[in-house]
Amino acid sequence: MTRKEESRKYWNPIIETLPPEKLQEIELKRFRELLRWAKDQSPFYKRKLHGIEPEDIRTMEDVAKVPVTEKDELRAAQEGKEPFLYGELLAVPSESLSTFHQTSGTTGKPVYIPDTYESWQWLVEVWCYLLYAAGFRRSDRVFLPFAYNVYIAFWQGHYAAEKIGCEVVPGGALDTKGRIRKMKEVKATALMNTPTYGLHMIEVSREMGIDPKKDLNVKKMICAGEPMPEPTRLRLEEEWGVDVYDHIGGTESGAWAGMCCEKRGMHVMEPHYLFEMVDLETMSKPIPPGMKGVAVITPLCRRCIPLIRFNLKDVMKVMDEPCPCGRASMRVDQIGGRVDDLRKIRGVFFSPSIVEEVIRGQFPEAVEFETILTQEEVMPVLTLRIEFNPSINEGQIKELRFRIRERLKIRSNLTFEIEIVKPGVLPRYTLKSSRFKDLTKR
Amino acid sequence: MIGEESMEYDLKAMDLEIKAIEEETKRLKELGRGFEAVERNADAILAFTYLLKRNVSDIIE
Repeated sequence: MTRKEESRKYWNPIIETLPPEKLQEIELKRFRELLRWAKDQSPFYKRKLHGIEPEDIRTMEDVAKVPVTEKDELRAAQEGKEPFLYGELLAVPSESLSTFHQTSGTTGKPVYIPDTYESWQWLVEVWCYLLYAAGFRRSDRVFLPFAYNVYIAFWQGHYAAEKIGCEVVPGGALDTKGRIRKMKEVKATALMNTPTYGLHMIEVSREMGIDPKKDLNVKKMICAGEPMPEPTRLRLEEEWGVDVYDHIGGTESGAWAGMCCEKRGMHVMEPHYLFEMVDLETMSKPIPPGMKGVAVITPLCRRCIPLIRFNLKDVMKVMDEPCPCGRASMRVDQIGGRVDDLRKIRGVFFSPSIVEEVIRGQFPEAVEFETILTQEEVMPVLTLRIEFNPSINEGQIKELRFRIRERLKIRSNLTFEIEIVKPGVLPRYTLKSSRFKDLTKR
Repeated sequence: MIGEESMEYDLKAMDLEIKAIEEETKRLKELGRGFEAVERNADAILAFTYLLKRNVSDIIE
């Protein structure tokens, strides 16, 4: 195989194999340019970056001196501020905008994020890197079982698949059965969906007498919209009989990391993004590879609404060893859920992602679940509400209740109340799922 | 230092072409000032030359 043939596994064979030092050099240069642009064009950053000289930023240590941007600051810079809708975050004239998206609002009031034609194309370009790494090619017919609405991920995925040369079939205005029929009818080879909806489609397919492994033509799936613990990814692979890839992104940042064919961690989309890991406590001290920290990201080419050192509040670790796929970019492992979801219960740090790992990884009989945190007098109580496959009998349920309680105890050091609910009672999510409810805040 | 993959591609020649396309498109846009079908399509081309610069030119600078 010639080097040119070999390079077809990369969207950009040059950038994706650049050595880390060269990637960092490009990122630092772009960071300085973005800082200068933001200081000059965005009223929010003009204030926030007062006293910071972009030309002084030469190393990652210098970058760490620039203040982190929090999501609450974005809300405050928008709400009631001019120009209408985007407020002090906007760094281009309003008439140059072409695209609107917003955050889901799960952690507060939604943030509105616009793009110019140029910045939108850049976001789509980064998704091309992601899809290409996940094996999406011209020969694919990609089905998107969603109405994308005002949420960014699937729009980016749609246009990136189109740009790669795939044939894109939007499946928004259909119910789940209609979508399954459509993907069978057109022999879709690839899917983009949330992990939760991927699991739900299996349930519905079976009700329809369709086995996704045998009766559909799907070969690969890329997930978006919510975190996907490894047991959930493996379960999707097993039940669909396809390769399942994850990526990380958000409305504010765009998609900034994705899985390659090795499926071991996710490659940061360098040098389009500057990625940092900082200490959980101080939010400034850099964290070495292998240690848990909080992810901080800077999209380097989205000039219309600059975002500098955005605190993603995701707990992760950087993987140390090089990836056999040949990409030289940093790889991250999304391991600890979101900082916002972390709770200290009876002296123990608890992340709801633990429940998903245990249930999806060890109990294929479970169809849906949710975790509820309540307070009884002074004691916090964790309750797992769980639905099983209708074919499970009373005797099996009794045994499952015991085993689940035991496994959760081992994994989290906390005791759970287990509540079995009838099939179909718990909500099914098509976009971002919400399986953790903290009722102690009410 | 640039990765081995770059050896089979003439990045400098590509960079020159990208910059030439950018300059020509800016000129076209200027010639079509007020002519929406020309201006907007020229803007679209410029958005793609921006991406080509990020994909190619930035590597050799």
